[in-house]
Amino acid sequence: MASTACFMIVSKNDIPIYEAEVGTVPKKEDAAHQHQFILHAALDIVQDMAWTTSAMFLKAIDRFNDLVVSVYVTAG
Amino acid sequence: MASFLPQFQSIKTSFDHVVLAVEDVSDLWPIVKKGFEERLPFRRAFLNNKTRNPVLVDELPAEYILTTDARLRSRFPQEQALFWFREPYATIVLVTCEDLDEFKNILKPRLKLIVQNDEREWFIVFVSKAPAHNDQATKMAKKVYAKLEVDFSSKKRERCCKLDLHGPDGHSWEDLEAKVMECIRNTLDRRIHFYEDEIRKLSEQRFMPVWNFCNFFILKESLAFMFEIAHLHEDALREYDELELCYLETVNMAGKRRDFGGLEQGDDQATLLDPGKKALAQIVQDDSFREFEFRQYLFACQAKLLFKLSRPFEVGSRGYSFIISFSKALALHERLLPFCMREVWVITACLALIDATASHYKDGLAAADVEKEFYRVQGELYTLCRTKFMRLGYLIGYGSDIDRSPVNSASLSMLPWPKPAVWPSLPSNASSEVLAKEKMILQESARPKHFGIQRKPLPLEPSVLLREANRRRASLSAGNMLELFDGRPYTNDGSGSPSPLPKGNTLSMSRTFSSTGNFEGSIDAPMRLAEIYVAAEHALRSTISDVEMWKSLSSVEEFEQKYLDLTKGAANNYHRSWWKRHGVVLDGEIAAVYHKHENYDFAANLYEKVCALYAGEGWENLLVEVLPNLAECQKILNDQAGYLSSCVRLLSLDKGLFLTKERQAFQSEVVRLAHSEMEHPVPLDVSSLIRFSGNQGPPLELCDGDPGTLSVMLRSGFPDDITLESLSLTLSATNNTDEGAKAVKKSEAIVLRPGRNNINFPLPPQKPGSYVLGVLTGQIGQLRFRSHSSSKSGPADTDDFSSYEKPTRPILKVAKPRSLVDLTAAVSSALLMNESQWVGIIVKPIDYSLKGAVLHIDTGPGLRIEDRHGIEIEKHEVGSRKTPNLDNQPDNLSPVSAAVKQLIPEDGKISLPDWTSNITSVLWIPLLAVSDGLAKGTPAGTVVPPRQNVVDGLRTIALKLDFGASHNQTFEKTIAVHFTNPFHVSTRVADKCNDGTLLLQVILQSQVKASLVIYDAWLDLQDGFAHAGKADGRPASSFFPLVVSSKSRAGILFTICLADTLAKDEAKQLDPASILNIRYTISGSRKLGAHSPVTEELSEPDNIKAEHLTFRSALVLQRPVLDPCLAVGFLPLPSSGIRVGQLVTMKWRVERLKDSEETMPSDNLDEVLYEVDINSENWMVAGRKRGYVSLSSKQGSRIEISILCLPLVAGYVRPPQLGLPNVGETNISCNPPGPHLVCVLPSPLSSSYCVPAA
Repeated sequence: MASTACFMIVSKNDIPIYEAEVGTVPKKEDAAHQHQFILHAALDIVQDMAWTTSAMFLKAIDRFNDLVVSVYVTAG
Repeated sequence: MASFLPQFQSIKTSFDHVVLAVEDVSDLWPIVKKGFEERLPFRRAFLNNKTRNPVLVDELPAEYILTTDARLRSRFPQEQALFWFREPYATIVLVTCEDLDEFKNILKPRLKLIVQNDEREWFIVFVSKAPAHNDQATKMAKKVYAKLEVDFSSKKRERCCKLDLHGPDGHSWEDLEAKVMECIRNTLDRRIHFYEDEIRKLSEQRFMPVWNFCNFFILKESLAFMFEIAHLHEDALREYDELELCYLETVNMAGKRRDFGGLEQGDDQATLLDPGKKALAQIVQDDSFREFEFRQYLFACQAKLLFKLSRPFEVGSRGYSFIISFSKALALHERLLPFCMREVWVITACLALIDATASHYKDGLAAADVEKEFYRVQGELYTLCRTKFMRLGYLIGYGSDIDRSPVNSASLSMLPWPKPAVWPSLPSNASSEVLAKEKMILQESARPKHFGIQRKPLPLEPSVLLREANRRRASLSAGNMLELFDGRPYTNDGSGSPSPLPKGNTLSMSRTFSSTGNFEGSIDAPMRLAEIYVAAEHALRSTISDVEMWKSLSSVEEFEQKYLDLTKGAANNYHRSWWKRHGVVLDGEIAAVYHKHENYDFAANLYEKVCALYAGEGWENLLVEVLPNLAECQKILNDQAGYLSSCVRLLSLDKGLFLTKERQAFQSEVVRLAHSEMEHPVPLDVSSLIRFSGNQGPPLELCDGDPGTLSVMLRSGFPDDITLESLSLTLSATNNTDEGAKAVKKSEAIVLRPGRNNINFPLPPQKPGSYVLGVLTGQIGQLRFRSHSSSKSGPADTDDFSSYEKPTRPILKVAKPRSLVDLTAAVSSALLMNESQWVGIIVKPIDYSLKGAVLHIDTGPGLRIEDRHGIEIEKHEVGSRKTPNLDNQPDNLSPVSAAVKQLIPEDGKISLPDWTSNITSVLWIPLLAVSDGLAKGTPAGTVVPPRQNVVDGLRTIALKLDFGASHNQTFEKTIAVHFTNPFHVSTRVADKCNDGTLLLQVILQSQVKASLVIYDAWLDLQDGFAHAGKADGRPASSFFPLVVSSKSRAGILFTICLADTLAKDEAKQLDPASILNIRYTISGSRKLGAHSPVTEELSEPDNIKAEHLTFRSALVLQRPVLDPCLAVGFLPLPSSGIRVGQLVTMKWRVERLKDSEETMPSDNLDEVLYEVDINSENWMVAGRKRGYVSLSSKQGSRIEISILCLPLVAGYVRPPQLGLPNVGETNISCNPPGPHLVCVLPSPLSSSYCVPAA
């Protein structure tokens, strides 16, 4: 099954510093917007979650229809 | 048991408190009823919960019912067991008795009868009616009560209490209440136990065929209800939770097919908060309940309890997940449900939940994090509702009114279409509506974006609706699917061009269609989009039973209003939950609606928030969607500053996000506005667009006071060239922050090319220190821009985000004031006085270019520049000093060599040639030191203070050097130059010959560092002297030339004799002194000191023929004194010798040797001044040291001078000396002629100090 994924690194000031669309689905123009939007919105959840757990991997924190957002928070 | 459901339902609705039975034995109830009921509900009751833990119930409502009441009588035993919760929790027996016999005989048996049979909790209340003042009656009542206690109370339990109607209140009521509570507690425990047993029994049968969920439900809910009326809400909630789990298990059990429900009228409206909406009996199906209704019922019961527990937040969060999971369940049965039933249900459920929770929620009651969560859930509910609402709107043709923003696109494009078994078909009488929709579709046109930005609109649909709808139509066979797209103009329904369906689809479709078997009438061409809209609208109308909701879908305006409400609700709640991103994004959606309706003010405000969020966090892809809209609003609002700023921000976004054409449009807007007639100059921050940095490499280093040129690299983010009217840059000192930044300006217009530009700023002199780049400001038309982003060092191409963390690199260093140049005299030794001499000045630049330097020369008094000669300049070579041998030095005095250049001074100024700007050079200035007086010779042996000589010969030159890039630097120095005569002359009489001739030795001491050659010397004698013989005063010529080396001495002898003198007065006036004339030449290097005078014939080859110089020196000759006129003789000391401490008389005899008239014309008084010169350490004088003595002026007259002295030290010491100060030394003949010593003996031993030897 074709899958799509977006990998993004966000700096501590919530600034995206790296973005990569990965997956087998041919890249769609609007997918980038969608992914960015979803990941940006997920920062709201990360900002709440990050302080409630000591774990770095926050697992699936948000779900947007078929898309699942997983977060790994680095130290520091 | 299921048949009891209706009864159960009715009991539940009518019963909500604990019942207490009153057995009124003595007809007391009417009297005490008021007192009893006044104390209801019970306060602070302790009850045991299911786990037998005491729970405090603040308020327990209860009701007293007489046992004779009909409600308690007509109950069947089975009912009683099932609905035990409504049976009385205690039986209170009211009795009174005033007579012991009566009690024994009548009351006691009756009571025994009442309390004996069942397991009811009971107790007896003895009501004493005796008035307080009637002791007799009181005593009797006490007796009876005591008897009652004996009979009915046991050790284990007291079952009696006394109520005194006329007695003091308080204690008796408390006792009564405690008894009641004990009974209730016990009853409750027992009933819980009973229900639990029953439930356990039933649960064990769960997997047996006899299992009936309804029975289980009745038991379980009875228990739950009992808890509820006992106000043990937590326990009740737990029962419902268990019930829900058990039900879901039952529902999901495989093999059993049940109706889902939801097909009845009004089912589209969620009843998840209203448990009594539908009678349970209606939804019974076989041995269970229909899922659709029952799950909502269960949730409603839970919600009710949670509200009672004041936990509206939990209702919200549970409700949200319930809606999600229930929506999934609806999806499973979607094929059977009315069209879009799922969406409609979710919308109504969300709205109901929002309303209910919001009305129960009070701010500030819950903890801060719970409050946040509450609002977040509210936001989520609104969002969910909004998404579903948009989906419905899209289905009936309002899609074009939904903003195609990322948030809407993300919500809708991944949300699958509704999947009815058959897509609704077009009603037969709807042609006019279809026409209207067609018209609407044709009229709608994508609003052109500002700046002519062309973007592919983001999708709002998971797949093309046209295709999806037609695929699901029963009337279409699989075969003609491809016809759908043939020859049909594609209307604007989203995106994409039709593509042939994959072949696999045909199979699945045919199966789908066959399975439903629901073919509708017309088998015709596929529906058009307008038809789909109309069909969907009709289908929805039949689905939606809520008038309000249908109203909000009935027209575009209503739809938008509702859409706006939902979006606002979501945004507000997200903001309150601190989920700013969610909130702000939705603010953007609100802005889009305002924008569309030309409410630009609100739209701009909201768009600004969105842009600030995206820009602040650097999510440019998202910013690109919103920023042009903001710009458009600002333009329309005539907010020039805002509009300009937006344009600049658009320009500063990543180049890949816009086409070049679009970027050019942004720029042209900026330029157009900047040059338009703006009222006020607009300040604008363009930090992201115009970046600047210093050039690579080390910072520019300047000396203090020097101007310079600062080269700065500007990176323009404009797509085209842009003209800047002016540009200035501030420099801030790193060491001194107090002083504000200084601006450097470039006032002429600059054209910035896209990308890298190098701009040179003229830099005025700066204070010493190190400077970093500050702010760049400039002007484009009326636009005053400023940029703070100096992209420091490092590769300027990297757009790295962390540049602000780098330390600032100084761009300019201005050195502290230091000497940049030095002027010193080239020669330290003396030069020739009264001759023109080259004075060398070493000009030494100290790491600084002297290009264009001008030297001002100002000679001091007694010195002048020989204008006839040019000034020379040559390279200063240190090695040239290594030639100490002056004599061997060729007389190459001509300074012209390859490295020597002539300079012509103008008004005392000399411009230094460029070739000297970086090397040390020597400037030779021809100078003449003038000294009016003649050199004076001194008698040999006398010491002439050398300083006097030096001071006489000292001249100063004031030098001022103007240099630096713009003659801004000045160096002033006064140089002292020492001039001297070639010789120092001293004389002595070498010998006095018998014939009266004198040999006069003239000693010449060379004063210069050069060899002197004397060619001739002669003496012009003063009056009273004459040359002996016929000589003309010259020594023998064969001695000449006489070479006198540097610092060496030479002597010349002259023979002279005394001559007659002229009249005294004349002689003094005419010729006070003899003059020594010396003709000489000098051969020295100007690099060392004195040298031959500057001549005009510089190129003359034969230097030996250089002009002979003449040196003249005055010599004062004194006629020698041949006969002294006075004689002083030291008379012999006493023969006994002199001793320390013994006075001794010193005697001198003064004798006149010849008449004094001749030699001492001034001393006519015959008084001779004497003075004793004495060494006070050795001698002490008793008497006058100085005085006059009379001495006859006749030859041979004598006088004796004696002085009493005391010798102080022993040894050979010099005796006091007698001097005659008024008489010249030569006129005194001394005896002994020179200094002499006398012997002073030690003082004699003092016997008094001697101790005789024993």
